[in-house]
Amino acid sequence: MIEHPTMKTTRPLIVAAMLAVAPFASAKELNLFAWSEYIPQSVIDGFTEETGIKVNYETYDSNEAMIAKLVGGGGEYDLIQPSEYAVEALAQAGRLEVIDRANVPNFANLSPQYLDQPFDAGNKFSVPYMVGTVGIAVNTEKVKEPVAGYADFFSDKYKGRLVVLDDGREIVSWALAAKGRSINDITAETLAEVKPLIASWLKNVKLFDSASPKTALLNGEVDMGIVWSGEGAILVQEDAKFAYILPKEGAHMFIDSLCIPKGAKNKAAAEAFINYILKPEVSKIISDEFPYTNPNLEARKLLTEEQLKNGASYPAAGKLETFKEIGEVSSLIDDLITELKSDL
Amino acid sequence: MSTISITASGGSQARRAPGLMGWLLLMPMVLWLAAFVVIPTLILLVYSFCERGSFGEVVYSFTWENYVRALDWRYLKILLMSVWYAALTTAFCIVIGYPVAWFIARADVRLRSKLLLLIMLPFWISFLLRTYAWISLLKAEGVVSAFLQSASLITEPLSILYTPTAVIIGLVYAYLPFMILPIYSSAEKLDESVIEASQDLGAGAIRTFFKVILPLTWPGVSAGVLLVFVPAIGMFAITDLMGGARVPMVGNVIQAQFGAARNWPFGAALGICFLIIFVAVYALLRERESKA
Repeated sequence: MIEHPTMKTTRPLIVAAMLAVAPFASAKELNLFAWSEYIPQSVIDGFTEETGIKVNYETYDSNEAMIAKLVGGGGEYDLIQPSEYAVEALAQAGRLEVIDRANVPNFANLSPQYLDQPFDAGNKFSVPYMVGTVGIAVNTEKVKEPVAGYADFFSDKYKGRLVVLDDGREIVSWALAAKGRSINDITAETLAEVKPLIASWLKNVKLFDSASPKTALLNGEVDMGIVWSGEGAILVQEDAKFAYILPKEGAHMFIDSLCIPKGAKNKAAAEAFINYILKPEVSKIISDEFPYTNPNLEARKLLTEEQLKNGASYPAAGKLETFKEIGEVSSLIDDLITELKSDL
Repeated sequence: MSTISITASGGSQARRAPGLMGWLLLMPMVLWLAAFVVIPTLILLVYSFCERGSFGEVVYSFTWENYVRALDWRYLKILLMSVWYAALTTAFCIVIGYPVAWFIARADVRLRSKLLLLIMLPFWISFLLRTYAWISLLKAEGVVSAFLQSASLITEPLSILYTPTAVIIGLVYAYLPFMILPIYSSAEKLDESVIEASQDLGAGAIRTFFKVILPLTWPGVSAGVLLVFVPAIGMFAITDLMGGARVPMVGNVIQAQFGAARNWPFGAALGICFLIIFVAVYALLRERESKA
C-alpha cells in the first residue's frame, strides 16, 4: 500500500524498457526490479563498469504491483526492493532466497539499529537499502503555532490547508497511533473505533497525494502535509521555512530492503550488487540523490554536515514502528477510506 | 453483414453476406476486436466471479461476493456520483460545443479548416501535460487567481483547485472536442434550404431550431454524448490531479483494485457493472435515434 515519493518520471521506465529488450542471457547479467526513482543511474553504470555485469533494470511504483508481478510470474528477477512488510509476506510464503553473507562483506557497514527487525529476524533474506519515516512537514511562515502530532495537525484551524498521502493504510496507522494503539493493530473492531476520528480528519484535508506531496507545499497551495521523509528532506533543503516533525503519538518507519527472489538465476550477481551498493562511496551517491535515512554508517561519514543536520533525513529519536503484513484485512481499509472520501 | 435481406432474386451487392474476399478484408478488424475487446472482456467476466488470494492473486473458485460488495451502498453511491459528474460534463459540452460546431460548419470553407485545426491542436500535446497546465492556471498562486485579484473581481486567492468544480472544468476541457467534432460533421451536411423552407412556412428562429435543425443534427449530438458521457464516467486522472483525489469516481476505485488494493476480482466486478451501464446508455441513445 506504500506508494513511493519516487514515482514521478517515466525516464527510468523507458530506460528499463530499452534494456529489457535483450532476452539473450549472457553469463554476466543481473535482472533488477526496483522502485522507480530510487536507484541512481550512475550507481548502476558504476556497478557494470566495475564488474562487467550488465544490469537489466525494471521499475515498479508500489510493493503491491511488485508482488503481483512476482507472483504472476511476469518476469524473472534476480533482485527486488520490497519494503519491510512486503519482505515479511514474501519470506513467509517461501519466495525469497537466503542471502549468503560471505558474499556481502560490506554488510558490516550497516547500523545495527536497522538490522534484525521482526520482519526478518537475523536478516536471512533482506539487506536494508534506505530507511525513512512518515512525518509532518510544516511551512513555519504560515503555521505559527507549534505542531507536535496528528491532533495538532488535523485541528479544524487548518481546514483546507493540508495535504496527506493518498494511502489508506498510512491514514489508518495515524489514527491508530493517535488512539494509543499499535499501528499494526488492524482488525474490524479497531477500524470501527478509529472511523469517526478519520472522518473528522479527512474533512480538513485539501488534497491527497502520494506521488509528490511536496509540490502542493512548495507552490503554496497548502501549509502542512504528512509526507515521506525523503520528500520532507527535499523541502527542508529547498527552503528553511519548512520543518519536518515526527508525530509524538508515533510514526511509521519503513525499511526498504534488497532481497533475492526464490529461484533467481543470477544469485551471485545479485549478491555482488548488494555488496557494491553497501560501499560507503556508492551509498553516499544514493543519499545525495534521494535524501532518505542512510542505514550505512560508513557512508554517513562521507555526508556533509548540512545533509546530516536535515531533520527529515536524520530525525531525532521518536516513537517509530514498522508495518507488518496484514493480508486480507486490507480490503476493510479500502472500504473504510472509500466510504469516508465519498462523504467529503 | 446481415443475411436477412437476401431474396430469391438476389439482393444488391452491398447487402450480400460477405464472401471469402470480404471476410479476408474484415479479418484484421475481427482479430483486433477478438484480441483486444472480446477476450479481455471474457477474462474480466471470469475474474469477477473469482476470489482474491491472500497474496492478491486470483483464486479460481466461484463467488458472488464481488458483486454483492459492488452493489453495497458505498460503492453504488460512488457510481451514481460518477454518473452525475459525467452527465454534468456532457451537458456543459453540449451547451458550449453546439454553438461552436454550428459556427465552424457555417463558416467560410478556408476558415473552416483552420478552425478545425484549432480544435484538434490540443491533441498534439500529452493529455497529462495539459492537465498539469490547468493546475498551474487554477492554483491559488496561479495566473487566473492573480488576474482576477488584480482586476479586483475577487479579494481572496482563488480556491477552485482540488474541488469538484475543478474536476468538472477538467472533464469539460478534456472531452469538449469529442462533442464538437461529431456535431460539426452533421451540421456541415445540413442543407441550408431546409432552414429557408422552415422560415418560409412561418416558423420562428426558435421553432426552426427545435423542429428542423436539432432533429437533423441529432445523430451528431448523440454520437457526441456517447463519446463524452461514457469515458467521463471512468476518468480517473483528472479526479486525482485536479480533484486532489478527494472525490473518488468509479474509475479511481477500479484503478485502485488493480493496483494498490491488489483485488482484481473486485475490480473486475466493478468493471462489468460499468460495462452494463455503457450498454444501457448506448441502447437508450439508439432507441431515441430510431424514433427520430
